[in-house]
Amino acid sequence: MTKVPRQPRAFRLNPEDEKPPAQKSKARKPRSLAAPRIEWQEETASETQGPARPPVRPAPLARPRRRWGILLAAGLAGFLALAAGHWAYGLIETFFARAPWLGWTATGLLAVAGFAALSITLREVVGLARLRTLERLQTDAAHALASDDAAASGRVLEGLKSLYAGRPDTAWGLSRLNEHAGDIIDPADRVRLAERDLVAPLDEEARRIIARSARRVTLLTAVAPHAALDIVFVAALNLRMLRQLAELYGGRPGTIGTVRLARMVIGHLAVTGGLALSDTLVQQLIGKGLAGRLSARFGEGAVNGILTARIGRAALDLTRPLPFAATPPPALVDLMREVATIAAADQAPE
Amino acid sequence: MTGLFDEARMAFGSLSDAATGLTHPTIRLGVTGLSRAGKTVFITALIHDLLHGARLPLFTPMATGRIARAYLEPQPDDRLPRFAYEEHLAALTAGDERHWPQSTRRLSQLRLTLEYEPTRFFARHTHGGRLSIDIVDYPGEWLLDLPLLALSYEAWSTATLAANRKGPRKQFAAEWHAHLGTLDVAAPADEAVAAEAARMFTAYLARCRADDVSLSSLPPGRFLMPGDLDGSPLLTFAPLDLEAKPSGGRGSLHALMRRRYDSYVAHVVRPFFFDHFARLDRQIVLVDVLTALNAGSEALTDLSAALTGVLECFRVGTRSWASQLFGRRIDAIVFAASKADLLHHSSHDRLEAILEALLADAAERAQFSGARIDAVAMSAIRATREAVIRQKGEDLACIAGVPEKGERIGKEVFDGMSEAAIFPGDLPEDPGPALAGEFEGHLKFVRFRPPPMKDDLSPHRGFPHIRLDRALEFLIGDAFR
Repeated sequence: MTKVPRQPRAFRLNPEDEKPPAQKSKARKPRSLAAPRIEWQEETASETQGPARPPVRPAPLARPRRRWGILLAAGLAGFLALAAGHWAYGLIETFFARAPWLGWTATGLLAVAGFAALSITLREVVGLARLRTLERLQTDAAHALASDDAAASGRVLEGLKSLYAGRPDTAWGLSRLNEHAGDIIDPADRVRLAERDLVAPLDEEARRIIARSARRVTLLTAVAPHAALDIVFVAALNLRMLRQLAELYGGRPGTIGTVRLARMVIGHLAVTGGLALSDTLVQQLIGKGLAGRLSARFGEGAVNGILTARIGRAALDLTRPLPFAATPPPALVDLMREVATIAAADQAPE
Repeated sequence: MTGLFDEARMAFGSLSDAATGLTHPTIRLGVTGLSRAGKTVFITALIHDLLHGARLPLFTPMATGRIARAYLEPQPDDRLPRFAYEEHLAALTAGDERHWPQSTRRLSQLRLTLEYEPTRFFARHTHGGRLSIDIVDYPGEWLLDLPLLALSYEAWSTATLAANRKGPRKQFAAEWHAHLGTLDVAAPADEAVAAEAARMFTAYLARCRADDVSLSSLPPGRFLMPGDLDGSPLLTFAPLDLEAKPSGGRGSLHALMRRRYDSYVAHVVRPFFFDHFARLDRQIVLVDVLTALNAGSEALTDLSAALTGVLECFRVGTRSWASQLFGRRIDAIVFAASKADLLHHSSHDRLEAILEALLADAAERAQFSGARIDAVAMSAIRATREAVIRQKGEDLACIAGVPEKGERIGKEVFDGMSEAAIFPGDLPEDPGPALAGEFEGHLKFVRFRPPPMKDDLSPHRGFPHIRLDRALEFLIGDAFR
């Protein structure tokens, strides 16, 4: 980088700077500078000063307020913990009284169990925090897309980078993203680019996960020996699908996280369910009509498969860190097409 | 403004376009801009970047690798010169001799063809994923002629005189007005008198265009940029003062002037419009807002009026199968404030706001008719880098590059060789005061030389740019199906 070698006088201040300019105080005089204290800039997202718009809020989810319930649960849990502690303490004391080695063994086992419990709790907490990160990313991204907000866009990009750092399947996308980090690009366009380069490649895998689950549910329902049994199958497969989707997009939900995700999915289905009228028609047609005529069990299987695909579609919306803006969202019909290719894909090893 | 005959002619043209479009789809990209708005540079950069697969992250077909090949077709129209792409490129990349292309003096045309992987069954089995883009380059002055299509000589003459009897134009027109006073409209026509009037009028137009005035609305365009009509009798007319002496009879000076004007419209303006602008698909309107800001509020108002008048001549609207067959319409317009590289990117939003305010009428009209519109601060070839300079406790967002020789800021005159950091002043947050001229003297945008190109101008390296990819995506991104 060659320093500007000339114009030693260029730093001369304008008289405007000495005497306060009348009224138009914000306007600074143009000037040319051959500056020694120059700081070259890698451009980042431009600072927007457009009209402020209200931030985009996430889709309303039913969050019941249960302060009393929490209080009750906390009280009971504390009491039970106290009781358990008292009981364990007494037990270990008894063991020590009988023989010291018995006491030490019991203490060791308890410590191992305690350590495991701590790890599990930690994992759940981390899982929940990551789910919350995904949620926050969605809100920020929606805001950045709607109002071209630089701060929100910056947060989204930072969040995505930390979320997907160190993963082999996102390395290419991340390097693409870093490639145009120095360009002058509008904040909203940056989010769109991140979606296209980083998140959209994951959508293919998400689609496969959903289709695979839907296919399994269809088959299992069709061959399940008992009606009660296929409810268990469907529930288990669906929960597994939710976890796989969340893991794909960067969440790592544990048990509580998955349950929470499931609740969000149900809420989301309730919110968006009304829009999927045409899909419901398809469902009716296949379930009660075509497939049902062939075999009642197969008809039920098809309905369950479609339901699974639909749950997967809702989970996709919830776990994907960015809304669908640069790429078209997958339609349920597309998913069904993949479900329909049962034979070929299901034999392939996972 | 278009008669039945013109409508029929356009419908016929559209019909034949639609027929060839089945097997060889073509997008007619209208690059619209007054003189010095950067049309030639835009076209050169666009072609270069597409040909060489430059990094255009926001132009999805290119960024996702769907464009397999890009090449220049042989000139489709034998009557028109080809756009001198190679010449302009050589000018821009000539090492120490690099310079912006000369101002355009005549019409030229180019057809660029892109081969891509089609996604649709129909596309795959008809044209197999070939898309041509037709671009026309022309002197921006000629664009100002389009509103004349709707004006009679008398109306034009009156409007022109009314406009230059007030404001800053008055002082520049003084000499010509004095001469105008000596003319007798009813006197017998005399070729020498007409030529003299035209000469005075042209001198006045040229003065108004100079850098310190920078007025835009200066029709007829061929007076300033005659092209191949230099010295033709078509250009020997001028407005007459018809208010004082309303009319002259047969054989008078008035009659001669009117005949010349009508011929000018019929033989120059009409073919120019119908051959090149009547059947556009997409349009980019390049506006040199910064030069107008340099010159002050009169220049801005004039620019706004000139562009609004010009843009009214285009057919804008949503596309349907019927319009596709019988009357092509422009269904997407990008309004681009060109030369955004003369400004730090933190001010680009403000520049876009000023542009939107300037073209509010035209944009509203386009939006009302259903076309998609977008406003961007763009630079097809970015000549500067950005830096922040800390001086006396304030951070100045600067741009740095090599200013053109003779450019000045304050007392500083640049020699065209050394690099300098320029702080051009703060654009106002609210475009209103800027349009009203309150920022006159607080802003100075210096012209820079083209950026020095590294020796490795290898494939996948285009010119540095600002938001060219976004404009492209908006203009032609949806055509790759």
